[in-house]
Amino acid sequence: MKKIILLLIAITLAACSAIPQTEIAGHVDLNNLQPLSTPQDYETVPLRVAIAAVISPKGTLESYSPFLRYLETKLNRPVELIQRRTYLEINDLIERDEVDIAFVCTSAYVQGHDSFGMELLVAPQVKGKTTYNSFLIVPVDSSAQSMEDLRGKVFAFTDPISLSGRVYPTYLVQQLGFTPEKFFARTFFTYSHDEAIRAVASGVADGAAVDSLVYEYVVARDPSLAEKVKVIHRSPDFGIPPVVVSPFTRPQVKEELQTLFLEMANDPTARDALASIGVEQFVLIDDNAYDSVRALMGILPTSAVQP
Amino acid sequence: MTLKKILQRIWAIVGAVSVRSKILGIVLGFIVLLGVGVTFQARYALTATMTAQLEEQSVSVSRDLAARATDLILLNDLLGLHDLLDETLANNPNVRYAFIVDPQGQVITHTFEGGFPLDLLAINLADGHAHHHTALIQTDEGLVWDTAVPILDGKIGTARIGLSDASMRAALSTLTAQLLLTIIFVSTARGSCSVFLTWILTRPILALVSATKSVAKGDFTPRVLRWADDEIGDLADAFNNMTEELARTDELRREREFLRRQLMEKVITTQEDERRRIARELHDSTSQNLTSLIVGLRIMETNCAQCVAISKATDLRQVASKTLDEIHDLSMRLRPRVLDDLGLAAALERLAHEWQARYKIPADVVIQLNERLPGEVETAIYRIVQETLTNIARHAQATSTSILIERRGDMVRAIVEDDGVGFDVNTNHSERHLGLMGMRERAELLNGTLTIESAPEHGTSVFIEIPLSSPLLLGEGVGVRLA
Repeated sequence: MKKIILLLIAITLAACSAIPQTEIAGHVDLNNLQPLSTPQDYETVPLRVAIAAVISPKGTLESYSPFLRYLETKLNRPVELIQRRTYLEINDLIERDEVDIAFVCTSAYVQGHDSFGMELLVAPQVKGKTTYNSFLIVPVDSSAQSMEDLRGKVFAFTDPISLSGRVYPTYLVQQLGFTPEKFFARTFFTYSHDEAIRAVASGVADGAAVDSLVYEYVVARDPSLAEKVKVIHRSPDFGIPPVVVSPFTRPQVKEELQTLFLEMANDPTARDALASIGVEQFVLIDDNAYDSVRALMGILPTSAVQP
Repeated sequence: MTLKKILQRIWAIVGAVSVRSKILGIVLGFIVLLGVGVTFQARYALTATMTAQLEEQSVSVSRDLAARATDLILLNDLLGLHDLLDETLANNPNVRYAFIVDPQGQVITHTFEGGFPLDLLAINLADGHAHHHTALIQTDEGLVWDTAVPILDGKIGTARIGLSDASMRAALSTLTAQLLLTIIFVSTARGSCSVFLTWILTRPILALVSATKSVAKGDFTPRVLRWADDEIGDLADAFNNMTEELARTDELRREREFLRRQLMEKVITTQEDERRRIARELHDSTSQNLTSLIVGLRIMETNCAQCVAISKATDLRQVASKTLDEIHDLSMRLRPRVLDDLGLAAALERLAHEWQARYKIPADVVIQLNERLPGEVETAIYRIVQETLTNIARHAQATSTSILIERRGDMVRAIVEDDGVGFDVNTNHSERHLGLMGMRERAELLNGTLTIESAPEHGTSVFIEIPLSSPLLLGEGVGVRLA
């Protein structure tokens, strides 16, 4: 009898006190709101590196991290990565001197150079070349052989001012006597080339035009993509997307950076940094390497190159 | 030992209440016990489940937030981030707050309005390689499950989500309230049922108790209704059979008593008649004859010349005269004519007079009667007083006695007291007992009572009360019963 009573009391107490079992990590007054301190300035001014959204922001961070760390080590100052959704936003940052150097797309360079004097720093060399192409890709089971076959389909553009992702395919459609709006059933922007490949691979888009460098880089990283998309057209060579500096960058800084970039190929510690962005070495490049692009952009109506 | 005492005390209280209250108490007690137990268990189970769910939700919401915030942070899309946090807050009512800190611990954006609780920053710091880290925080608004999810291994920041347990507590309160309401409802319903059930159960028992009380008072008429065909129904049947049996026995007893009394009265009446006849005979015939004899002897004395004969005649006359006195006395004792002729008062005064003359004990007689009483009452009182006086003379060694006869309304009362040695009323002196029995019998034949108060050395009082209005016991419905 006594045991039963004790048991009942024990059960009752257990039921009352069983909530919660997790330890309290701390006490916070959620209504005691205070102003947030403004971010502290870096002790040393960081090098601001803008990277155009050729690939997705996350992919960019992952690929460029070793490279940026290398810069940090070499320059002995922090490096700040700046990304924006569109190429034009990056161009604006360069124009406003809010970045020190930038990895931009070819057409963005052409536009930046012609409108506010964006300056070439170096150009990456990939597979011995400083040129790249636009690949017209379709799902692997697609019957399309050329742009002509994509009429009435869904087409994915990358960035509004991307040469390989928008300007060139627009040119192809124009050659067929159409505007993209009339030629395709629907178009949309993915803002990066890897996303455009993914859109085609997943069947969201019936076709897309992408940067050949990105395509090869992405397919190398994820071979399963090669089984889902195929290249049905390759553009002529265009000048490779360069590394640029703002017109406001001081000449000695530009020179220092240029030297650093150019010597990377000879620096064993830079091997990982170069490999992760798929670049063999950085080389000097002249603005006239982009004249063919300028010519192509010139024959397009401004709507094709302006967002 | 203490427990035993407590249990005894509890039983003293519980045992004293009615069966109805006991059953009601047991039923309600069990319902309340069960209900409270179930409520606690349900609360416990629900709390455990909801806590786990809350923790899971906290993790999934913050993982989702971290995934969706990645590009926005990388692209420095603060408006997009702010919208994302607002959206997260709007889509998850449990989310109390959400914010994102950069790797340096600076808040990039948050959902608090007009400031930020800085204490939050120091709590729940997730390691960059952790999948997530959840901590329970005590806030002024209750418990909050705070989950931190590093974004890109913490390289670009950490997403933090706080899930309040307010909705859980509200759900628990609602559940508890509903369960308690249910208990109250069930208790009320069961209580009513129990009251009804116990009423059904105890009704026949109460009827039995009431009937038993009637039987105890000598009323055998009540019958208990057989409510149900169960044990209590059997008991009711058994009780009814018993009552019927008792009623029959009582009837028989009454008849026998009646017959006995009738017989007794007859004996007494016959005895009185016989005494009256003998007394009259002695007075009218024997006394007359003796008187004649005495007169003859006196004549013989005066007229006779022989001396021997004269002296013999004188002796004979004296014997005859003494015999006449004795016969007179005898006839007086058998049945005083004065009782029939002049009534009780005169008869008693004469009886007392003769009694004190004979026994030399003063007797104070007070008789307050304005008219004659019924013959049988006069006879009964007379005989009782006579017997009492005889007893006093024989046993009491009294120095004085008093006799009081009075009429009070429809009642005549007689008190005979003496200051003698008294006796223990409860002791059974067979001879005296028989006499007392006879006296009581006489009183009771007339529906009267006879009470004796006495104690050794304290004298004796005999009280007799006989009603005058009520019919004689013998007359009451006897004919019907005998028929």
